Amino acid sequence: MDTVTITRVAQTQWEAVADDLVVGRGDVSRRPDGRLFLSIDVWRDAAFDRLAATMLADLPTPLHTLVGEDDHDTTARWERFGFTVGRREGAYDLPTDPRESGLDATRLPAGVTVLPAGEADEDLLRSLDRAIRDEVEAAVGRRVLPAELLAGPPGDTLVDPSKYAVAVLDGDAGYAGLVRVVRVRRRARVGLVAVRADRRRRGIGRALLAHALEGLHRDGIASAWTEVDDSDVPALALARAAGARRATGHLELVRR
Amino acid sequence: MEGTVTECLRNAIFRVELQNGHHVLAHISGKIRKNRIRILPFDRVLVELSPYDLTRGRILYRYRT
Repeated sequence: MDTVTITRVAQTQWEAVADDLVVGRGDVSRRPDGRLFLSIDVWRDAAFDRLAATMLADLPTPLHTLVGEDDHDTTARWERFGFTVGRREGAYDLPTDPRESGLDATRLPAGVTVLPAGEADEDLLRSLDRAIRDEVEAAVGRRVLPAELLAGPPGDTLVDPSKYAVAVLDGDAGYAGLVRVVRVRRRARVGLVAVRADRRRRGIGRALLAHALEGLHRDGIASAWTEVDDSDVPALALARAAGARRATGHLELVRR
Repeated sequence: MEGTVTECLRNAIFRVELQNGHHVLAHISGKIRKNRIRILPFDRVLVELSPYDLTRGRILYRYRT
């Protein structure tokens, strides 16, 4: 007998109760890019289906969720509700020691200077960020961009400009590329490495990554992590060239 | 309950030592995964225990310090 009761306890939260016990929770949140992401956690299988059915009835499409690439049970549950794999992404550990990564930050490509995090001109940085986003959107689409979880100020995509190091080409008025690294205690996430389309294939991305990793190594942080879309061949090549080791992976499921 | 991650196992499952000394196997919550929060050994975490099996739990939150 199905005794699970579902209640929407807040605008973004649902609860499944059975025999006076909370046996499941559902949550929805909106990413800065406007996409809605769901999550459901249950202690009883029946609660998943009830929560999913209620949440899907309450929410507009498209809807997204993330599951571990090895979590076949949860993937199958979502697939029963019409979700399909939208993209695959790997999480990689990056060694910061140049002897391990093979990257040498002291060997910059000719004519390239890297400005450390906190030294970039904010207007030029914003201009570069906007140009790169437009280029990505016009080419492969935003799906290959790393997930952004924090919204910037209204109309701005930079949450914290001090986290970006940038590359400058001799003679250029603007910046050519950027790398964003966020540190939380003794760990670090390389959130984005990007180079303007007309400045690629000069080793700028590699130089930016080498610069970022060297800074972490100098501060005693042995490894960083990053996420790469499985279909983003240049990004995968750059990560592998930096000695990246795949730690785990996610599937992004979509219900359209 | 609060605890400390002592071991990372496969498939995003972790062994966590609770403040009362008990050990539980905990997986990460959907919100943790959705927000791409990385859990590593020695992290202090908030764990919700299963009402059906007190040796199982779910990591709801990773403390910053």
